[in-house]
Amino acid sequence: MIISRQKEFNDILQMLSEKNIFIIGCGKCAKKQRVGGEPEVQDMKKKLEASGKNITGWTVLSSACSIASWNDVLSQNPGINKSDALLVMSCGGGVSVISGFAGLQVYPALDTGSLGGVCCNEVVTEQCGMCGDCTIWLYGGICPVIQCAKSLLNGPCGGAVEGKCEVDERLCAWDKIFERLKKLGKLENIENIHEPKDHMKKTRVKKT
Amino acid sequence: MSFISKLRSGKFIITAEISPPKGTDTSRMLGDAALLKGIADAVNVTDNQRAAMRMSPIAACSILQEKGLETIMHITCRDRNRLALQSELIGAFALGIRNVLVMSGDHPSKGDHEGAKPVYDLDSVQLLGMIQELNRGVDLSGNKLDGKTDFCMGAVTNTELNEAGLLKLKKKIKIASFLQTQAVFDVKRFSEFIEKKSEIELKQSKQIKIIAGIIPLRSERSALFLNKVPGIRVPDDMIKQIKDAKYPEVEGMRITSDIIKELRTLCDGVHIMPVGNHEHTKKLLEMAGLI
Repeated sequence: MIISRQKEFNDILQMLSEKNIFIIGCGKCAKKQRVGGEPEVQDMKKKLEASGKNITGWTVLSSACSIASWNDVLSQNPGINKSDALLVMSCGGGVSVISGFAGLQVYPALDTGSLGGVCCNEVVTEQCGMCGDCTIWLYGGICPVIQCAKSLLNGPCGGAVEGKCEVDERLCAWDKIFERLKKLGKLENIENIHEPKDHMKKTRVKKT
Repeated sequence: MSFISKLRSGKFIITAEISPPKGTDTSRMLGDAALLKGIADAVNVTDNQRAAMRMSPIAACSILQEKGLETIMHITCRDRNRLALQSELIGAFALGIRNVLVMSGDHPSKGDHEGAKPVYDLDSVQLLGMIQELNRGVDLSGNKLDGKTDFCMGAVTNTELNEAGLLKLKKKIKIASFLQTQAVFDVKRFSEFIEKKSEIELKQSKQIKIIAGIIPLRSERSALFLNKVPGIRVPDDMIKQIKDAKYPEVEGMRITSDIIKELRTLCDGVHIMPVGNHEHTKKLLEMAGLI
């Protein structure tokens, strides 16, 4: 699941120079996190109207990043054609896909944070660093690329205090990795030196 | 005699830390350097320490070496990717810098450019490995260098390590020639660290030199502040001694010189990193009987 959070409302207002706005929510990740499902879209509509915007309509697509036919979206939502701009309450993937179809200004209402998931009804953030070269199994299923603030592959830095990361309140990822591997009886996974990541595997440039 | 020769000879090493200036005026740095000349076997030059932007260590080292001081250039993984690290290192070697101290580096969010992109393309172990390659005459992609480096490589460590920390220490010991530690105040705990290090040495059949970090205590306030720094622990009775002293700074010098005396039999050298400048470093080393 893509983890996103809503932008500050004032920041959204500053972005939106147009008057007639259509709002699109997303029925997948954004809905689950309560940042882009129907209640949030309704709330956004109210706030924007109170700020003098004309809301031409709204919809919550089943998945903003996966659109089979933009014509279907248009025929079901005639308000779009009466709009100067779209406000999309989804991750950057959804905003990007819709921008490709829409032919008019599209604004993001969310900031996209990380690739996470839901565990026992709790949203968990930063589960995968999307490095394009998954070796998470070596680390007991805990991704050091994203869970360690410095993406260290060979063990912790010296910055943790009482098990807390140097950067914020999160627990040191390397303590978690060590404990998990110890439980699994797989500490040998991290005893040898791990080589630097090959960033060609995640890069936008493909080797020719 | 060079730092590496002294290290190999078994001489008890004295190093001292110098910060490059925040700006182009090198006078304060050179003032510190003058206080250390003839006293320190080498001076460590920090690399944007605590993630606060300063003059590059390669420039500062070069300036200091012109003044006749041997340097240990700090190099962190925070600000440069593998290309920049390598070009910096071969440039440093060409400028006469022979010693490097490798570390991950404090996260940008802890410094004065909080929004800077954290690089960490390599970690400290991988950086040590890369320098090993440069010393062999090849870059990280295996291309042959036109003139190789010959760096003496150091790594850093806390002296109170959990199991995950020990795992990384083992990797550093495999590659590095010396370790500089976070500031030591509790000699008993430090000796426990030395025991653990010796066990690793035995298993790996490789010895490593240990240079213990020293931060001279100045006041109760500074001791309490140090206790918040990762990897540093000032014992309560030491804080009380400073608090009760009529002249805390004098008492701090006495305590610190006693620590150094005790460390002489435990490790291979001390690294003096005062808060502020080096005006009392010579006196401290005299009190400890090192000079």
